[in-house]
Amino acid sequence: MISKTEAAIGMSRKWDAREAGREVAETAIKNLSRPPDFFLLFSTIHYEKYGGFEEFLDGVWDVLPKETPLVGGTVTGFMNNYGCFSRGASALAVSNPSMDIAVGVGKNTKRNPHRAARQCADMIQNRLKESPYKNKFLLNFISGPVMPSIPGLGQKKYIRSGFISKFALQALGLSQALVQKGLGREDEIFEKTVQQLPDYQMILGTSMDDYKGMKNYQFFNDKILTNAVVNLGVATDLDLDVCTTHGMKATDLHFTITKLGAGNHAICKINNKPAVPELLQLLHWPEGFLTEETMSHTILYYPISLKRHGREVPIVMPVIMKDSIVVPCIIDDGEVSILTVSGKNLINAVKENLQFFDRIQPEFGLFSACMTILQTLGHKTNIIQEELHNYFKDKSFLLFYSAGEGTYSKEKDITYANMSINTAIFGHDITKEKI
Amino acid sequence: MRDDPIAHVLDDLMRLDDIYACIVARRNMISVMPSSEGFKPEVNQIWDVIKRAMDDVFTVIGEYSGAGLSEMEFRLQDYEVLFYVFPDTENALVAIVPALANKGLLEVEIENARREILKIMNNPTQKPNSQKKDDEVYVTA
Repeated sequence: MISKTEAAIGMSRKWDAREAGREVAETAIKNLSRPPDFFLLFSTIHYEKYGGFEEFLDGVWDVLPKETPLVGGTVTGFMNNYGCFSRGASALAVSNPSMDIAVGVGKNTKRNPHRAARQCADMIQNRLKESPYKNKFLLNFISGPVMPSIPGLGQKKYIRSGFISKFALQALGLSQALVQKGLGREDEIFEKTVQQLPDYQMILGTSMDDYKGMKNYQFFNDKILTNAVVNLGVATDLDLDVCTTHGMKATDLHFTITKLGAGNHAICKINNKPAVPELLQLLHWPEGFLTEETMSHTILYYPISLKRHGREVPIVMPVIMKDSIVVPCIIDDGEVSILTVSGKNLINAVKENLQFFDRIQPEFGLFSACMTILQTLGHKTNIIQEELHNYFKDKSFLLFYSAGEGTYSKEKDITYANMSINTAIFGHDITKEKI
Repeated sequence: MRDDPIAHVLDDLMRLDDIYACIVARRNMISVMPSSEGFKPEVNQIWDVIKRAMDDVFTVIGEYSGAGLSEMEFRLQDYEVLFYVFPDTENALVAIVPALANKGLLEVEIENARREILKIMNNPTQKPNSQKKDDEVYVTA
């Protein structure tokens, strides 16, 4: 079969923002014989210091044909056909005559996530509702968490003081509403987007910086935004599917959440006792074991599986405030399992994920993965790149690392997870061709 | 040194905030240093002791590189020193980073640098990607 789909990866490792913008566009479109129908653009935060993102995007538009739909933003790192990178820029440009495209944007995601989601989804719906192509896809890309700075302490993952923790927990909602600093609320936006566009297959990703959680930017055509959600909607005759895997394994450790706080974003009590001491006891960790320094080497390897609207949600516990655990999404109280994860399990999760697409002959693929996987595996993340390269061979793929990711399809419903690999593959279902 | 392509790879690494110093070295010898930027001032006060500790690590690298030793690291005070060994040699790319850096992200770029240096070592006439013109850099995906 002769493919009418053309997909190409753009890539730049230049430091200067303008030059990098030009190069990422040039390297992508020179491999297409037609102008791209859409351009997904991801970069690391470094260009903020080397010319700024206005310059970066101007560089892209020096080269990219005008009116090309463009969305994207800053990410912790990325991998593509050329390797794995925690610095630089990459793009996925796709051209296909049998494809309709729409882009959408919604603002003030941390202040009013539902409104932002609705605005953004409406733009997609209005543009694609008349499309003759039955397979619909959406990339839901949302501004990620920005850690509020606590006076006198700065941005901390671990707060020992009970007084400051109490204040910080109460101020979390206020901070989100007033200065839009705090959790990304991507789970709420994703749920709302699914409600608006239930027939789409979706992949969720979040915009981040270099793992610090201090700032992030979103790209929407020629605009640089903060605290925004940007959508790419695709209607196509290509077959496509989405899948989430995470590789986390259940342990025999369980507990019950008995008190939530901070708008159901904090676990205050488990088994009717203050959450953190009780968790330490369950894990047989000594008092004082968790510190700012040990957090990333310890508790991130023990995610928890809890419930949200009856769905299993595996998440990490990224912030400890004295006796309370702040979690990245809204959760329900009730039974929780403690999970564990290893580098080997993470790599197996990629293999398991790709097996799901055995029936698809790929044209191109898009992935979102948890930035903690990048941080955990370090340069061994190249093993994942080799797996993807073996699957895609000469076809283009782009994976970006974010902080809060998931997928949705009508068959599988919403999967929101941390430490997960989320895949959307476009291609040809070989089982259909045999029929 | 100024036109050494390996030095340009090190220059690229040095631009990352949390790379305080990087060199290509072996025991008792620094082979290549960054060309355009010196080490960051943070390491000046501790350089002498780090250098002595590094030489001891290179004894181990010399002993086990042939057996497949590919990486080593140690922490000294508030710094971590990472050794990315060039296979079957006594040489390594050495990077000094703060102990609380996001090491996973740095490792990705240190490994990219090691791969690029290896390519240059195997093909000494090759320019590093940062020195190439745009149309020389990437192949079709």
